Amino acid sequence: MRSIQRRLGLGLGGALLVVGLLLAQTSLWLFESGLRRYLEDNLRDDSEALLAALVRGQNGPQLDESRVGPAFQQPLSGHYFHIDVDGKTWRSRSLWDSTLPLPEKPGLMEALANGPQAQQLLVYRADYRRLGRSLSITVAQDYTPILDSFRRVRIVGLALGAGALLLILLLQRLTVRRALRPLERARVQIAQLQDGRRGTLDSDVPDELEPLVRQINHLLEHTEQTLQRSRNALGNLGHALKTPLAVLVSLLARSEFDAHPALRQTLREQLEQIEQRLARELGRARLAGEVLPGAQFVCARELPALFATLQMIHGQACVLSWEAEPHLSIQRDREDVLELLGNLLDNACKWADSKVRLQVLEARGGIVLLIDDDGPGIETSRRDDVLGRGVRLDEQVSGHGLGLSIVRDIVEAWRGHVDLLDSPLGGLRVSIRLPASAGGAGPS
Amino acid sequence: MRLLLVEDSVPLADELIADLTAKGYAVDWLADGRDALYQGASEPYDLIILDLGLPGKPGLELLAEWRAGGLSVPVLILTARGSWAERIDGLKAGADDYVTKPFHPEELQLRIQALLRRSHGLANQPHLEASGLQLNESEQTVSLENRVTELTAGEFRLLRYFMLHPGQILSKTRLAEHLYDGETERDSNVLEVHVNRLRGKLGREVIETRRGQGYRFAGIKA
Repeated sequence: MRSIQRRLGLGLGGALLVVGLLLAQTSLWLFESGLRRYLEDNLRDDSEALLAALVRGQNGPQLDESRVGPAFQQPLSGHYFHIDVDGKTWRSRSLWDSTLPLPEKPGLMEALANGPQAQQLLVYRADYRRLGRSLSITVAQDYTPILDSFRRVRIVGLALGAGALLLILLLQRLTVRRALRPLERARVQIAQLQDGRRGTLDSDVPDELEPLVRQINHLLEHTEQTLQRSRNALGNLGHALKTPLAVLVSLLARSEFDAHPALRQTLREQLEQIEQRLARELGRARLAGEVLPGAQFVCARELPALFATLQMIHGQACVLSWEAEPHLSIQRDREDVLELLGNLLDNACKWADSKVRLQVLEARGGIVLLIDDDGPGIETSRRDDVLGRGVRLDEQVSGHGLGLSIVRDIVEAWRGHVDLLDSPLGGLRVSIRLPASAGGAGPS
Repeated sequence: MRLLLVEDSVPLADELIADLTAKGYAVDWLADGRDALYQGASEPYDLIILDLGLPGKPGLELLAEWRAGGLSVPVLILTARGSWAERIDGLKAGADDYVTKPFHPEELQLRIQALLRRSHGLANQPHLEASGLQLNESEQTVSLENRVTELTAGEFRLLRYFMLHPGQILSKTRLAEHLYDGETERDSNVLEVHVNRLRGKLGREVIETRRGQGYRFAGIKA
């Protein structure tokens, strides 16, 4: 899953980390070099003071101890010197028993030198001529305390930086989430669309999303209109063809045909074939299948009307019942489901002795429909034939084969599965398994 | 029995009228929904056969308006629109039965007979039975204690109407309204002739005369 939120977070975090580290390191480096220049000035002053402390003695130059600063007297104080005059050297008392590393050329030594007691020394050398001799004065200062404080500053800085980064990421997350809220809302609405809990997406969205939402809504509307139009056109076509068919079928009953029974029979058979083919193809063309995402069939709302219709057609002799969880809905087009159940139940009523039952069950995200009757049932070996194209098992009860082939068309359009089983009521059980709808959102 | 047929296809209407008349029904035919809306509500029909695809006014709207206006005549929808969703819509609008085109004429006859019996509170039985008489509607004969009697078309019509309204006093006007279509000259003498012939075939006590009120079907075990 690629999330915009995570991408934005990673991008911003990475950029902030790189820039922050670069900035911190550069400012530390600038500060340290400034500090070193300042310390270099101090060391030069020290060396000049020492130069002034060199006085003319009986055997050449002499160091006037009283003019040497107290820091040089205290052992390991961190301030040291080394004076070299024509092979004669003076060392500060503070050096105690260690030696000062001497730089090869005048000026501040690039690297820090190791001093006594693991001190890191900043070493400065200056060459002078005085009293007619050339002399070299090296002064050094312990740099460890400054390094320590730098380390502390760095740690504090890092902690502060990390805190700031975290805070920024958090704020950014919040901002992004707020900015993406319309997207999230659109996502939720699309899920609702799949479940059939809404027909269109809200058009009250930010400008960036508006074309998308408008396009989806337009597409939905267009699909629905197209379906409606084609259903109307098919209805009209059916009307236009079936009314003349009805006339022809009525004409066959005329007494003129009584003298020609064979002719009447042939005509009747051919007309019946036309009628069956027409009914099947029109029925198939009417199917919505899985075109509309928002389709749903609410059992508790639709089944009572369907059962009232069936009861009226088949009379009181047949006891019809249905069972479905309250609020259970089938995520398929209403007319398709009515056509499926109507045909199956009608067929069951024609065969049943007295009882027909429908059960709608939810199973692993899909739906199972069970239609039971207490009629004679169908032998196991003939069950496959019944589902075949337009097969009729018994010409006495009309529409058996046709009804089941429409059922098969509908179930195939839904990518479901039909099984013919033995019913606990004693007759046939038609079991229809439907997978969760194509949109992926299962029944809620 | 007087029926109203609302059907815009002339050839089909011709066939249906011929067929229904042969079965002893008086049929009025209209092709336009707007005419049917008025005439269906104002004339005393016993049953209405309604096509859904009508010019002027869609059949379902027509039916809904009749029902909203308190018309209780049984309505049989005769349509090419055979999907279950449309059947349910039809019954919701107030239809009492639904026959899809194309249909066999015998099937339509049976559905009309069943609907008429049901609307008169009679059980769904193969033959119309009342007060000891059994009427065979396809043969147009009547059985009385296992003796089958042939009936003429006029006698059959009259007896069927009596048998659907046993024990009720029926005025001559009412009988005439329900036995003849809107274009036939109504002559009360014809009625009297038919009543007398029925009495001749089935016995004097079968139909009583109530002076100034009309006739009453008493049957043979009254």
